[in-house]
Amino acid sequence: MNRKTFLLLFLIGIVAFSCGRKEEQKSTKTIGVSLLTRAHVFYKDLEEGLRTEAAKDGYELIVTAGEFDLGKQSAQIEDFITRKVDAIIVCPVDSRGIGPAIRKANEAKIPVFTADIASQEGDVVCHVASDNVAGGRLAGEYLAKLLNGKGNVAIIDQPTVTSVLDRVQGFKEAIAKFPDIKIVADVNGEGVRDRAMQAASDVLQAHPDLQGIFGINDDSALGSLDAVQQFHREGVNIIGYDAIPPAADAIMKGTALKADVIQYPKKIGETTVAKIKEYFSGTSLPKVVPVEVGIVDKEALQKTAAK
Amino acid sequence: MQREVAATRDFSRRSLTRLLRDYGIAIALLVEIILFAQFSPYFLTAENLVNITLQVSITAIIAVGMTFVILTAGIDLSVGALVALSGVIATSFLKSVGSFPVALMIAMLGGLGVGALAGFIAGVFITRFNITPFIVTLAIMTISRGIAFMYTDGRPIWDLPPEFAFLGSGRVAGIPIPTLAMMFVYGIAYVVLNQTRFGRYVYAVGGNKEAARLSGINTNSVILWVYVISGVLAALSGILLSSRMNSGQPNAGVMYELDVIAAVVVGGTSLFGGRGSIIGTFLGAMLIGILRNGLNLVNVNSYVQMVVLGVVILLAVMLDQLKKRS
Repeated sequence: MNRKTFLLLFLIGIVAFSCGRKEEQKSTKTIGVSLLTRAHVFYKDLEEGLRTEAAKDGYELIVTAGEFDLGKQSAQIEDFITRKVDAIIVCPVDSRGIGPAIRKANEAKIPVFTADIASQEGDVVCHVASDNVAGGRLAGEYLAKLLNGKGNVAIIDQPTVTSVLDRVQGFKEAIAKFPDIKIVADVNGEGVRDRAMQAASDVLQAHPDLQGIFGINDDSALGSLDAVQQFHREGVNIIGYDAIPPAADAIMKGTALKADVIQYPKKIGETTVAKIKEYFSGTSLPKVVPVEVGIVDKEALQKTAAK
Repeated sequence: MQREVAATRDFSRRSLTRLLRDYGIAIALLVEIILFAQFSPYFLTAENLVNITLQVSITAIIAVGMTFVILTAGIDLSVGALVALSGVIATSFLKSVGSFPVALMIAMLGGLGVGALAGFIAGVFITRFNITPFIVTLAIMTISRGIAFMYTDGRPIWDLPPEFAFLGSGRVAGIPIPTLAMMFVYGIAYVVLNQTRFGRYVYAVGGNKEAARLSGINTNSVILWVYVISGVLAALSGILLSSRMNSGQPNAGVMYELDVIAAVVVGGTSLFGGRGSIIGTFLGAMLIGILRNGLNLVNVNSYVQMVVLGVVILLAVMLDQLKKRS
């Protein structure tokens, strides 16, 4: 009997202690993050940016990822609401489907920020993302310069993703300025290297006189490169997007992959947390904060490597 | 006179159904080839035919294993994830273990081994714990994909020894090695299914498991082996694919299971087991592969492509029902 009472008191003690600790932690700001995926280099860098900036202000980050599963991501946001975080950052799996989850956060008066991918619904304080239209434009301009304003080009596309639609829009805008450059094919490579390789193989067969390919991300560009190499095609110039290490390596080695648009995912992460900080201090924010992009070719990469 | 005409019409209609029933896929494939040849001057070029067999080889090899599985009235959803897992395992071994010829052997063994192990685990759960294949292989699918991502930290494995590319990109007498591998696998599978005791057991287990068991067949062992075969062949495809891409991609093979199941079903193998053929699967894989290739060649919008693919699968299954009814 005595022992039981002791045990009971002991347990109550533990519970009280852990409750107390939670209260203590609450004094710093907590930010719940639901990324699109943690399996992509891009999001790893973005996460790194979030962490660097959060560390500066001593914010606590709870980082999760929807892994392309809307249900999972919605549940993660609901968890954040239950835990009463101070702000939520989402990279939506589905720009429309995430709406209800964001509205729930709105009702709980927790500010929601989106990074990289926007939401079409719900109240979002601020969306931080690369300027994808500008990125597509850079790719188009660079390719046009390589082709001296003349030739046939193809797009290895992924038309189910909004940011990709923007890139392609920018690319087409840039190409439209060159009447002698024709976009002869626009096929879906699904944004992964194996599918992109197959799509690009088909395009190469259909267009023996192809001079240019725009891969909407690096898996698409590298898949195109695989196809060009397997069919020993000369005179095809590929432009990619993101400059992940294998792509940068292919550019450096002087393959058909000539240049890459680069985003600064780390900067997107840093900017997002910086904007949250501004929000906490009462500054009013614009609805969209574009983060700059650039383009790198062999020369530019060699310069940075030399540094 | 009147009656005679009616009779001929009736006869011709009946023979048409019979024709469709017996040679449906072969006819569909032929029609498809003729149509694409009309619409694209590049469709029937030697290079494009090489391209098609190269593309089809990956799913077609997996489809052989899937045919074995579906013949036993099972299903294997893990194959796409196993393509990725075996690819990253093989490429990482290639980078870390010794010099080239030895490293390639170890890489192949590692890749195929992981496929066999995954198939074995699936088989054990299905036979010993009596869980439906759909759920078991769904779990193996997410576990394998997860391990592939964990193992690589989500990044591709690249910068491989250049000799490795030969496996996927090399040609012998003008024929790509993956195409040769596909022909080899189909040859073996044909013999196993049609000429061996194991092959007959596979059909028997799928046709009526209880009857097969009562007639003395070790049904559990047959089912276990079928999943091991499926895992190994998915791994073989994964290794060939990673060689073509000169890298191990943890996000490779996404949704391949659906392409493969579609090929098997379009090829006339019944999802209820016991009925189907390896030649049908080959034709099914070709039908779908050529469809994807041809639609890209004539630059059909990718949204439309999805719809067309779905319609073709529906038509094929309808054909299969027709066959069952008569």
